[in-house]
Amino acid sequence: MLTCGRFISSSAATSTASFFPFRTLTRSLVRRPAPHLLSSASAAAATAVELDTNDGSAGGGAGVVRPQWKAAIDFKWIRDNRDAVADNIRTRNSTANLDLVFELYDQYLTLQKEVERLRAERNAVANKMKGKLDPSVRQALVEEGKNLKEGLIALEEDLVQLTDKLQLEAQSIPNTTHPDVPVGGEESSVLRKEVGSQRSFNFAIKDHLQLGKELDLFDFDAAAEVSGSKFYYLKNEAVLLEMALVNWAISEVSKKGFTPLITPEIVRSSVVEKCGFQPRAKNTQVYSIEDSDQCLIGTAEIPVGGIHMDSILAESALPLKYVAYSHCFRTEAGAAGAATRGLYRVHQFSKVEMFIFCRPEESGKWHEELITIEEDLYASLGLHFKTLDMATGDLGAPAYRKFDIEAWMPGLERYGEISSASNCTDYQSRRLGIRYRPSPSEPPSTSTKKGKGAASGPTQFVHTLNATAVAVPRLIVCILENFQQGDGSIVVPEPLRPYMGGLELLSPKFK
Amino acid sequence: MLTCGRFISSSAATSTASFFPFRTLTRSLVRRPAPHLLSSASAAAATAVELDTNGDGSAGGGAGVVRPQWKAAIDFKWIRDNRDAVADNIRTRNSTANLDLVFELYDQYLTLQKEVERLRAERNAVANKMKGKLDPSVRQALVEEGKNLKEGLIALEEDLVQLTDKLQLEAQSIPNTTHPDVPVGGEESSVLRKEVGSQRSFNFAIKDHLQLGKELDLFDFDAAAEVSGSKFYYLKNEAVLLEMALVNWAISEVSKKGFTPLITPEIVRSSVVEKCGFQPRAKNTQVYSIEDSDQCLIGTAEIPVGGIHMDSILAESALPLKYVAYSHCFRTEAGAAGAATRGLYRVHQFSKVEMFIFCRPEESGKWHEELITIEEDLYASLGLHFKTLDMATGDLGAPAYRKFDIEAWMPGLERYGEISSASNCTDYQSRRLGIRYRPSPSEPPSTSTKKGKGAASGPTQFVHTLNATAVAVPRLIVCILENFQQGDGSIVVPEPLRPYMGGLELLSPKFK
Repeated sequence: MLTCGRFISSSAATSTASFFPFRTLTRSLVRRPAPHLLSSASAAAATAVELDTNDGSAGGGAGVVRPQWKAAIDFKWIRDNRDAVADNIRTRNSTANLDLVFELYDQYLTLQKEVERLRAERNAVANKMKGKLDPSVRQALVEEGKNLKEGLIALEEDLVQLTDKLQLEAQSIPNTTHPDVPVGGEESSVLRKEVGSQRSFNFAIKDHLQLGKELDLFDFDAAAEVSGSKFYYLKNEAVLLEMALVNWAISEVSKKGFTPLITPEIVRSSVVEKCGFQPRAKNTQVYSIEDSDQCLIGTAEIPVGGIHMDSILAESALPLKYVAYSHCFRTEAGAAGAATRGLYRVHQFSKVEMFIFCRPEESGKWHEELITIEEDLYASLGLHFKTLDMATGDLGAPAYRKFDIEAWMPGLERYGEISSASNCTDYQSRRLGIRYRPSPSEPPSTSTKKGKGAASGPTQFVHTLNATAVAVPRLIVCILENFQQGDGSIVVPEPLRPYMGGLELLSPKFK
Repeated sequence: MLTCGRFISSSAATSTASFFPFRTLTRSLVRRPAPHLLSSASAAAATAVELDTNGDGSAGGGAGVVRPQWKAAIDFKWIRDNRDAVADNIRTRNSTANLDLVFELYDQYLTLQKEVERLRAERNAVANKMKGKLDPSVRQALVEEGKNLKEGLIALEEDLVQLTDKLQLEAQSIPNTTHPDVPVGGEESSVLRKEVGSQRSFNFAIKDHLQLGKELDLFDFDAAAEVSGSKFYYLKNEAVLLEMALVNWAISEVSKKGFTPLITPEIVRSSVVEKCGFQPRAKNTQVYSIEDSDQCLIGTAEIPVGGIHMDSILAESALPLKYVAYSHCFRTEAGAAGAATRGLYRVHQFSKVEMFIFCRPEESGKWHEELITIEEDLYASLGLHFKTLDMATGDLGAPAYRKFDIEAWMPGLERYGEISSASNCTDYQSRRLGIRYRPSPSEPPSTSTKKGKGAASGPTQFVHTLNATAVAVPRLIVCILENFQQGDGSIVVPEPLRPYMGGLELLSPKFK
């Protein structure tokens, strides 16, 4: 059994004689080492890490490590759309191995048939033994039965391993792509909308770090001592600014029918994986908790997606719309070359996130709604920004389509991403196990965990969408740099003033 | 070298011949295993855990001795001059500090230090003798002697380092001194300082906050148990507004009193956690650690705020420095199995607004009174019924010189529950965090000089630090829901919070 990441275990070697040709074949297929998987999207998707509650020693021990969860993969659909799926994998620069998936799937079907055949034989033998028999005949049947049983156990074991491997491979296949999404790398992303224009200044402008120093708004140096680089304290009016952004965003978005939430920031690693993130990958963005299967969230998308995990929702309850406030933690490992100045890239920040669970036919509409809410928010703050339809190479595994907003940051002399809105269709819901029952006569309850109900029609997977309302540090960068004045003061955007006790201006302090 | 917690390393065994009697003596003293230390206050205080950057969780240790990452500035002379009082204090606080061992090691230390100095002098003498013109055999003898002395010196100096480390480890476990008015004994000996309000009598069957939260769709513990584990929760709807209101209101009220608002990191280096008096590596620690890192999650903003002036010399004119800090707090609550764990009363993650003061020693008593008054005013204005207690010696913990706890009445849980704590830590934390000030009237008006020497008069002194909870959100939500519930299931919003909730006066049941 292949496992990735830090814990390597070896499968229990069984020594059943080579009774069944399939066993040898599948075994070699299953146990082929595949180091590339360590960095593939599937690496964390299907790999279980046993709870190591002792002392951090390498796990494994006896027995095989099985995946903690399985995505509900539609293999038939993949088979019927092989070329499109292969194309999609390519344009998204995914490391998913489609040929291997098909190979394993065929093996799986064949092995499954064989297992069924053996079961039938075993039942036949058992039936034969019901009547009165000659002792030698009976003995022969008992022997045959025993052999069949042993062979069956071995094959079933192989089937489990094969299924796990098939899952692992298949889960790394990225989501399908909206037909309008531009193909290519980051530079191929297409401008959807542009609001405002770059302000021209008649004085020498400063970046947010300089402004923050003069206004006594942050302390990066003390935080570097206490916590490490890319940590910071917010001080004085910057505290009010953060609280105002959060309060304002929750207020504005909940007016549009989103239910406010405050979420856990520690979650089980399996939930992180189900949302499409990789806690165990090299250069992972995810912090893990020692001696635990828990992680810190990098976004409220994770605990909100998880809130309806393994549930069947009533159709009448959809869409479920949440606006969630949390702190977010990101390792930013592998971001060494990227822009890391000041508040632009930090390990901890506050964010208000929008999340929608809806019927499949509505996700396109809700995606448009979410990006409109974002654009309205930033326009009302007076920011100049561009909305981009992100190209295939920049989507990441879960997104069917993704709109990013990049705002002008004059002090950093660049457009910087301040939000992202993704339609994940059924990618996350197939992993989180979130379905709904399409029916007109459903009783008005929001959800039934694992319920069966009396309604008509099979359950369907919901679609999920997530979108940033406010990510505080980059908005602080935008506000400070765009609204600075010649005398070093900062004009507070109007919508935020009521949340700052009416404060209109951040003024330099003399020390 | 003794190390505690998960990583055990063995000291490099040196095989220098028994040239110096002191070496054998101190070595046996230093390397005696002391398992009780794993739970003493010092366990984390002086033990270094080597960074395991390989990522495979293998036990560290490797080559070489693991030395402490930091040292408290212990006043050994003061301890020696006040031996009985210190011993008494250790006893009444139920501390596991071993004072006799401290004295033993301190004497050893003094003796060994003298010996080292003596050898150094001898070595210098030999070096001097070799300066002139000498007979080759005489020179050779001197070279031999010099070499022996050098080897012996290196060995002794090594022992001195180990001895010093062990002395520090033991001494750092000695708890802070105690205010003379603090009642002696366990929790039941704590003394009532003040009582505000009285238990409300209800003319209907009351519910606890969990029941109220369910009916008002305010929390979800079940989904959180699936996503995160037990003792986690989602806040929903008006509970979100209530949390934001409590935080906004507290920051606003406290900053009006001259406290500088702060939002702090929630991930900090474990050494900073230790310096504040907590124990990330102890069994049943309250502290979450980050994998493959020397970092931890904070259990209180006291830690990053205390750290903000780490290793600094502050100008006297800058004192007092008063901060009001908002952060999320994370606590494992390991070992709290038998304690009250219902609903929001005991959770792994919560929001808190914390007050923190750095001041001159002579003022800490005054600021302690000021902090508890601020707290009492806050809770009285919310309409809560509560008691302020002067906590007894057995309940102080290592850093506090004196601690006032406030316990508020929670009718649904049928108990008084702690909603805040205000501690005067005097110089306990500052001696570990390295925070001093320079007493001088003519200091330039800058807030701090890191490791600076300055031109002022007088030696530097350690500041005193105090910390006090302004609002710890979940328990206040418990208080508000349970105390202000009405017969129809609605909750009256305390007046001071209404402006922060868009004027909302009532949380009403929703029909589903």
